[in-house]
Amino acid sequence: MTDIPQHNFAGQGALVLHRSEEAIRGVVERCARLGIRARGLRRDLTVDDLEGVDMVIVDIDTGHDGALPWTPGAAPVPLVGLVGSESPGRLGWALGQNVDAFLPLSALGNLFSALVIAHATFARRSDLMRERAETSLQRAGRLDVIRAVNALMAEGGDEALALKRLRTMAMVGQVSLEDAARRVLAQPETRRSGAP
Amino acid sequence: MAYKLGLIFSTTGSYAALGQSALAGALGAIAQISGRGGIDIVPVIRDPGGDPAVYEAQMAELLDMGVSNVVGAITSWSRKDMIPVLERKGGLLWYPCPYEGFECNDHVVYLGAAPNHHVVPAIDWLATQGMSRAYLVGSNYVWGWETLRLARDRLQAHGIEVVAERFVPLGSTKHEHVVDEICATSPDCVINSLIGPSSVSFVKDLGARDPARRGRPGHLVSFNQTEADLADLGEAADGLLSVGSFFAEDASATLRAVARDRAPNGQVSAFLASAHAAVELFAAAASEAGTDAPHAVFQAACAAPRATVLGDIRIDPVMRHAALAPRLALAEGGRFRIIERAAAPVPADPYLSSQPAPRAPRRPALRIVP
Repeated sequence: MTDIPQHNFAGQGALVLHRSEEAIRGVVERCARLGIRARGLRRDLTVDDLEGVDMVIVDIDTGHDGALPWTPGAAPVPLVGLVGSESPGRLGWALGQNVDAFLPLSALGNLFSALVIAHATFARRSDLMRERAETSLQRAGRLDVIRAVNALMAEGGDEALALKRLRTMAMVGQVSLEDAARRVLAQPETRRSGAP
Repeated sequence: MAYKLGLIFSTTGSYAALGQSALAGALGAIAQISGRGGIDIVPVIRDPGGDPAVYEAQMAELLDMGVSNVVGAITSWSRKDMIPVLERKGGLLWYPCPYEGFECNDHVVYLGAAPNHHVVPAIDWLATQGMSRAYLVGSNYVWGWETLRLARDRLQAHGIEVVAERFVPLGSTKHEHVVDEICATSPDCVINSLIGPSSVSFVKDLGARDPARRGRPGHLVSFNQTEADLADLGEAADGLLSVGSFFAEDASATLRAVARDRAPNGQVSAFLASAHAAVELFAAAASEAGTDAPHAVFQAACAAPRATVLGDIRIDPVMRHAALAPRLALAEGGRFRIIERAAAPVPADPYLSSQPAPRAPRRPALRIVP
């Protein structure tokens, strides 16, 4: 069975950044039909503007990093790019911002598709970022694992037995090996050996 | 001033009955408008014969010969095939059939029932009948896929179990395995999104295998069954619940006369009435705009509610869909008897973005017909 992506946006909020009132009106009225509270802005975005906003729809023709209050490429909500001129430079800027979906201004009737794709891409991007952060944390914890194995070896046994003990602690505590290592290192030696 | 109006309906081929009904409605409207001194409309008729590959070429041919507006297409497949050529050549399609929603093209006016006009009220009605198990079967293309997906969501929201969901190749009549499974699982109702010969053959076979089903209200459910081919189903259709924007019971004498004079089966159907209404809308809009240029005609059509055989129709200028008053009807002896109808036209919600979650009992916009 096909997985159905998020496709109901009723009750969500959107910001539409564009220089043209006509373009803003076209997007805002279509959003309204999908149950989305959308409002247009003809200026740079501030952090305060993002209050209650679940997606941002931005003009690629005139967009620039300073117009968006986040680190380029790290929008905190799904980002839809409105395509006007199709110049490679402008599209390059949009790609640098990790725009989640593109919507040609000449095809606003496909807004729904752009929103579905943007939300799915954003969710996938967020998962990827989270996985990367976890991997990074695990890498940073490798030294702690070595230290913990050494500490446990000091209580008897070889490195294989020490690593086995550490794995058991991680399993029992339902934490990662790295977190178990940090716990071992944070505990006084007496506790590790099972003393009360 | 005479305006050309393209009419692309398959009046031959596997779903000819629907095309014939729609064409009869459109031609009847053209004659009536001309007869009462309205604008002259010159119909330019094409018959793709039910072959999806032909629609695009015929649409291109009409647009190239100066036809800007076309009433036509029955299936979503054919509509979607014609859209690129409409976009390239700047035409406007007045689409008079129920469809599965999730579309809003700048070159189409959607005059048939959207999913909030068919799937939602039909499933909500089933929930009020104490049904607890449903079986879903559809043709293996976009109408079957999407209507059954929407039906499944709505059924499950009501707590109705979906026993199984099966798809049959488009046009196939090999569905013994489906009938076997239905007989083995005994669901309270079967949601039938098969089309054309597949549907006719399936309904008859199921009725023959399990005659006890017949006459039980809602044992079969269709989101697009009309009088255009109801007779083909025979007695097996008794108790079939259909939902749509129009049934013959509501037809005026004028519309009945159109059906009698022009429809091969003499019956009014939603296809006939909607195609009639499409021509009325085009005529009123072109007359007011003073042109048949698609953009101007569409703007004029949306400017105010327009009187049609379906009642006053308002078209949403943004989503391009008509507000319609859905009716629920049960088939009895080859006719549909309306059991519920919306009190007023309901704006189309093609993306189902504003449908409240079901609450039992819920029949919000419908009232009992005495």
